[in-house]
Amino acid sequence: MKSVAIASGKGGTGKTTLTAVLAWMASRELEVTLADADVEASNLPLALQVHSPTCTAFQGGGKARISEADCSSCGLCQEVCRFEAVLTPRPGVFRVDSLSCEGCGHCVRICPAGAIEMLPTCIGEACQGQCRTGPIAFGQLGPGQDLSGRLVTEVRRLGLEAAQEKGSDLLLIDGPPGTGCPLIAALASTDLVLAVTEPTLSGVHDLDRLAQVATRFRIPVRVVLNKADLAPEGARRLRETCQVQGLPVWAEIPYDPVFAGTLQAMSTDPQLQPRTDSAAWIAAGEVWKALARELDLPSPLAAR
Amino acid sequence: MAEFTLAIASGKGGTGKTLISTNLGVLSAEEDGLTVLVDCDAEAPNDHLFFPQGPRKAHPVQVPIAQVEAARCTACGLCRDACAFGAIRMLGKARVFEELCHPCGVCVAVCPTGAIREIPQRVGEIEILRPAGREHLILVTSRLDIGQVKTPNVIQAARSTAGQFPARMVLLDSPPGVACAAVASLRGADALLLVTEPTAFGLHDLELSLQLGRNLDVPMAVLVNRDVPGDTSVETLCRRWEVPIVARIPFSRKVAETYARGGLMVEESPEFRELLRPIPSLMRGLRAGKVVQA
Repeated sequence: MKSVAIASGKGGTGKTTLTAVLAWMASRELEVTLADADVEASNLPLALQVHSPTCTAFQGGGKARISEADCSSCGLCQEVCRFEAVLTPRPGVFRVDSLSCEGCGHCVRICPAGAIEMLPTCIGEACQGQCRTGPIAFGQLGPGQDLSGRLVTEVRRLGLEAAQEKGSDLLLIDGPPGTGCPLIAALASTDLVLAVTEPTLSGVHDLDRLAQVATRFRIPVRVVLNKADLAPEGARRLRETCQVQGLPVWAEIPYDPVFAGTLQAMSTDPQLQPRTDSAAWIAAGEVWKALARELDLPSPLAAR
Repeated sequence: MAEFTLAIASGKGGTGKTLISTNLGVLSAEEDGLTVLVDCDAEAPNDHLFFPQGPRKAHPVQVPIAQVEAARCTACGLCRDACAFGAIRMLGKARVFEELCHPCGVCVAVCPTGAIREIPQRVGEIEILRPAGREHLILVTSRLDIGQVKTPNVIQAARSTAGQFPARMVLLDSPPGVACAAVASLRGADALLLVTEPTAFGLHDLELSLQLGRNLDVPMAVLVNRDVPGDTSVETLCRRWEVPIVARIPFSRKVAETYARGGLMVEESPEFRELLRPIPSLMRGLRAGKVVQA
């Protein structure tokens, strides 16, 4: 089985839309499994209508809690905490701000009164289900929690598990924005990064950062230029940048509100089929063919 | 310390945070006085692209990372057992996996032979830019190094750098999402402006951001970008959360094209300027507990 991460650096370039469309095309020809690795803003399940998912709570490290009755107000916990998580709402009263606490346990060790304990916390949930194109794994981090990278890893694991069960040919991973720990967790051991970009200065800049990260992990990068006609000058600059950096541009998708709008509409209407005659859909078809060829997927369309 | 700190955020990426932040920055500097725009999107910092000219100065952000002095390590394993992040493994001697180190200092405290020290390591940089021709605007950019993961540390460093200026207004252009990077940017702000778009994805992610804002107990307002006339979906959600909508930016190709080439809409469109103009005082009012009309 092959796995592909759809990423962008910059948010809002069209990762989820392209992932959903590619999944749609792939599911007509072979077995495809999806993983939505953007656990901070999980939208792929919306676009492809997940039904009856199985979700389990995902445990994070833990958060410290100070028992006011046992606390001797020495303040040592506040002194050792690197995360400024021990607050003093009133003089002599010490309390842990759970959003700041990273669960290192330093305060628990140092407290001479034994007044601090670590409580396990649920930082979000990880889910597996079926959607309009086949199996899907996704997750949602609780707002304000950290360790999103660990939850991404769990979602990727669930995706791999579902793909193996189903005997999928392809695992498509809808990546998070940025270049930090969630992205790195999403890229782990993928065969290819499909970088979705847009012809804005920000798009070029963030594509460059994404390509540098992928190169560090020796994962090949292919580029899809989305909303290509919105800014012809920007598109020209992007093509040049990609050429200089040796990044193949697989397709240019024109700006098409119907293209994205269809997916938004599909999220509320299970009967709705995507419009396959738009210029954007046809351009996305080129991406699918190129992907199937590059990864040697059993696609009759690409073989033609 | 700044007189007022306004964070601009959204759950979903690409809703227009940078568009609003850069334009608000210019507007606030012209009308209100010294304004520091902080680009807190350390993994994809783009505000500087809109201010290509001007003197700039960068300094590294360093984070203390645990390091084991092999000669003094007795391989007792206490540090490994104490590390809540699984960052230490015993490979003959103790070894720290840097990207997992949080740095909390627990291993240093538990090591019986004093073999572990924390050594500052570079994870990113802060750049201070004084945009040419804009006397009252300063741009502070946080930039995570490629391959690094300590985004919150870089954001915090940018915010404390910004705090050194006696600004009337600090604007925090925040990273997308609702995890530690977003928290590092939003915590302690006086008010939060959530930028959204009237799509199913936008609404879903807006609700997560509203939840985060509530958890952090910061007054919030919403700006609808790429507004569609007649669409009431955002309004319905905002009413449920009792959060006002302070501006609606209609969808326009002109905005998209201007943004694409690094232009500033407040300088090219008086109408756009008028849409943004009331925001700073509305947000100050919100902080002061005034009811802002949705």
